Amino acid sequence: MMKRFSQLALPYIVWAVLMLVLPMGLIAVYSIMEQGNSIVPFSFTLEYYVKFFTDPDFLLILWRSLLIAVKTTVICLLLGYPAAYFIAKSKENVQNILILCITIPMWINMLVRTYAWIGLLSEGGLIQQILRVLGLGNGELLYTEGAVLLGMVYNFLPFMILQVQTSLSKMDNSLLEASSDLGANPVQTFRKVTLPLSLPGVINGITLVFLPAVSSFFIPKLLGGGQYFLIGNMIENQFITVGEWNFGSAVSMIMAVIMMLLMMAVRKVEIRNQGGKEE
Amino acid sequence: MNKSKRPFGKILMTLMIVFFYLPIVYMVVFSFNDGKSLTHFTGFSLRWYRHMLESQDMMEALYTTFSIALLATFISTVAGTIAAIGLSKSKKIIRNIMEQINNLPMMNPEIVTAIGFMLLFITFKVEKGYATMLLAHIAFCIPYVMLSVMPKIKQLDPNLADAAMDLGCTPWQALVKVIVPQITPGIVSGALIAFTMSVDDFIISYFVTGGGVKNLSIIVYTMSKRVNPSINAVSTLVVVIITVVLLAINLAPALAAKRGKKEVIVRRNRVIPLTMAAVAAIGIMFVVGLGSGGGDRPFEGQTLYLYNWGEYTGENIIGDFEEATGAKVVQENFDSNEQMYIKVANGESYDILVPSDYMIQRLIQEELLQKLDHSKLDCLDKLAEEVKGLPYDPGNEYSVPYFWGTVGIVYDTNKVTVKELEREGFGIFLNEKYKGDVYLYDSERDSFMMALKSLGYSMNTSDEREIQEAYEWLVQCVKTMDTEIVTDEIIDNMAQGRKALGLIYSGDATYVMDENEDMGYYMPESGTNIWSDAMVIPKNAKNPELAHAFINFASDYDGAYDNSSYVGYTSANQEVIDAIYGEGGDYEGISAYLPRTDNENDEVFEYNEETKKIMGDLWSRVKIAASNAD
Repeated sequence: MMKRFSQLALPYIVWAVLMLVLPMGLIAVYSIMEQGNSIVPFSFTLEYYVKFFTDPDFLLILWRSLLIAVKTTVICLLLGYPAAYFIAKSKENVQNILILCITIPMWINMLVRTYAWIGLLSEGGLIQQILRVLGLGNGELLYTEGAVLLGMVYNFLPFMILQVQTSLSKMDNSLLEASSDLGANPVQTFRKVTLPLSLPGVINGITLVFLPAVSSFFIPKLLGGGQYFLIGNMIENQFITVGEWNFGSAVSMIMAVIMMLLMMAVRKVEIRNQGGKEE
Repeated sequence: MNKSKRPFGKILMTLMIVFFYLPIVYMVVFSFNDGKSLTHFTGFSLRWYRHMLESQDMMEALYTTFSIALLATFISTVAGTIAAIGLSKSKKIIRNIMEQINNLPMMNPEIVTAIGFMLLFITFKVEKGYATMLLAHIAFCIPYVMLSVMPKIKQLDPNLADAAMDLGCTPWQALVKVIVPQITPGIVSGALIAFTMSVDDFIISYFVTGGGVKNLSIIVYTMSKRVNPSINAVSTLVVVIITVVLLAINLAPALAAKRGKKEVIVRRNRVIPLTMAAVAAIGIMFVVGLGSGGGDRPFEGQTLYLYNWGEYTGENIIGDFEEATGAKVVQENFDSNEQMYIKVANGESYDILVPSDYMIQRLIQEELLQKLDHSKLDCLDKLAEEVKGLPYDPGNEYSVPYFWGTVGIVYDTNKVTVKELEREGFGIFLNEKYKGDVYLYDSERDSFMMALKSLGYSMNTSDEREIQEAYEWLVQCVKTMDTEIVTDEIIDNMAQGRKALGLIYSGDATYVMDENEDMGYYMPESGTNIWSDAMVIPKNAKNPELAHAFINFASDYDGAYDNSSYVGYTSANQEVIDAIYGEGGDYEGISAYLPRTDNENDEVFEYNEETKKIMGDLWSRVKIAASNAD
């Protein structure tokens, strides 16, 4: 009888193959084919991969993109975990309000919020004036790596907080009580009970921060200026202004594969620690 | 347990809330700013709100954003739920494979997904626009819906549907009456995620859109370089809408809780927010949809697709043209000739483009343009002599000039003297005295022009050694001078006097000098680029008739005057030049407005496929060098 329901999945299977698998296939095809923005006369080449991996400049860009994404993720974790912990330990109505406070900005367009930072960070802007009053220097803020980092943390921090908070609030409080009854001090309880149990949330948070951070191109473009170039900008550039789609596809493939490997590694950590995971 | 006071947590939370809301508050405050600046509040005014309401682009972007989000949410929620129910009864292997496939858009960098969609639509020759944007949104939303519905289905008693059918339900009834109500919380949270993803999306929309369809993100991304505070007004409007909807979602259950039983709440809790969101969104669409008039004018109901530089039209010309002809103008913006070329070469259709000289030459060579019908044009004899029959299109067979000018150095007269400029020319960009005090312009051809001219070569050289030398010149510049490579931000920044020197287009210099008297404009004796941007009609234009009408309108005194006085670029219409530069004109006596015509080292750009490629490649390397030099 239930078999009839399984037919309901058929249209989606067709759709998913067309709209999700085929596009990835096309990127792969473009990346190994000789010059041209149309696939009809197909001839195989690995030229674009060679071009990428033999050029120290490109590798440096890739490295810097990964580095800034790691920095963003670490900062988000360091700020986000305590915040999530605080929220999870608050009374329920306070919890709801705090979560709402963190969600509202996410509903307001990301570009719009990033754009607002331009005014705040630009010369003579509010932040610089505050720093000046506090005697904390007079340096440039906009169009620096610091600005890009700030923009990324600003945009992606809520993901981290919400993920960690979800897993913390699912936690059974009696476990903590048991731990302290058994003589563990708060630090030990945190290390041995709270932290491992919140790990799935932390890992989800890391994924949700790292992925967009590594490929973002509008944050570097808006806050880093034209001389701040990351791998996402490089791909955008190949498709929008240079017109070398084959090379752009190759760079996209490289990035997709690196991300896949990283995500698999992260998932491994998760599986190893799956002890307390619940559905 | 020490639960009473946690000062550290409270301080952290407070700081974080300030951090999250500071830019939003800042934006709201500056949306009421009287002036154009994003850093100085000069007085209260509603001028940017008026500007926003008058700007068709922005209202349409609002409409597109919310209508796509609603449609995508609805379709992906229904489809995702059905697919999830179906998959849960499918064989395990199919289920696993589908889970992996669904992971593709979630686990891939967004830009990769976006490029995949773009290649898909282009390969299968689907015209990009509203429909492709919607399809892409549905495609990336469904996996999120399934992700949140799946766990709820797994919790379901597998015999539930069987029991319902044993009791006489048809399979359809079992589905709708038994299964769906059980998994409603998962469906609702899936729908909310889908809505959030779609409303906030930029990257995917940016790559799959076409035909002038823009959402809010695309507007912000393509307009942000020139300061336009109406963005703040639009954003404020969005903030208000979102806040109201969210408050309604969160207050409604609380209110309901006071009244009814728990069961009722659960239901309302789920239904009210969605209804609210839908009502709000439909409200917006309605407001935005209003305001189109009627009448019988020559092009009533037709549409002109104009592909132009950002902020390159006067305040009134588009509205006046629509008023006069009854046609609707859909404007899409580019920020480089190359970006425009790629779209046109890949078959996107526009009625009018406004490329530069060398790009027009390329478009003609590649047979992408159609010849103008001179019998339909009444504007050719109004053109200034200097822009008639330029080498890229000797008989103006394909193009009618729009703006023209030179490239030069904008400088702060308090920091840089004319003597220095005369002595060093473009070489001043290598003078370490100004380290950290210079802007370069993010344009391959004009950067190479600067380097080649400084080295004493022709900017149209095809000698690889000379190009290599120019490349090294530029690398030295970005490595030793701590330069900032900007595009249109240079306008506002130089008007505020933020750096000593910058490479700039004469029209932008006009604006800067008009705003700030301390700024000067200098064209080196070693020569510069005399450029012009002209209106052309591509071969695949859908409405060449209307395009000719627009060319006439924009070249006519009123249209050209509006354009030139607002944008600051030199008009191609001689009468307008005289009026604006002459006594009592908007830019009276501002030297940058009048391009020089008497230096024999000045050149007009020519298109050369080979060198263009080399320079393009080298320029991205210069930028990479600049990036890696930080």
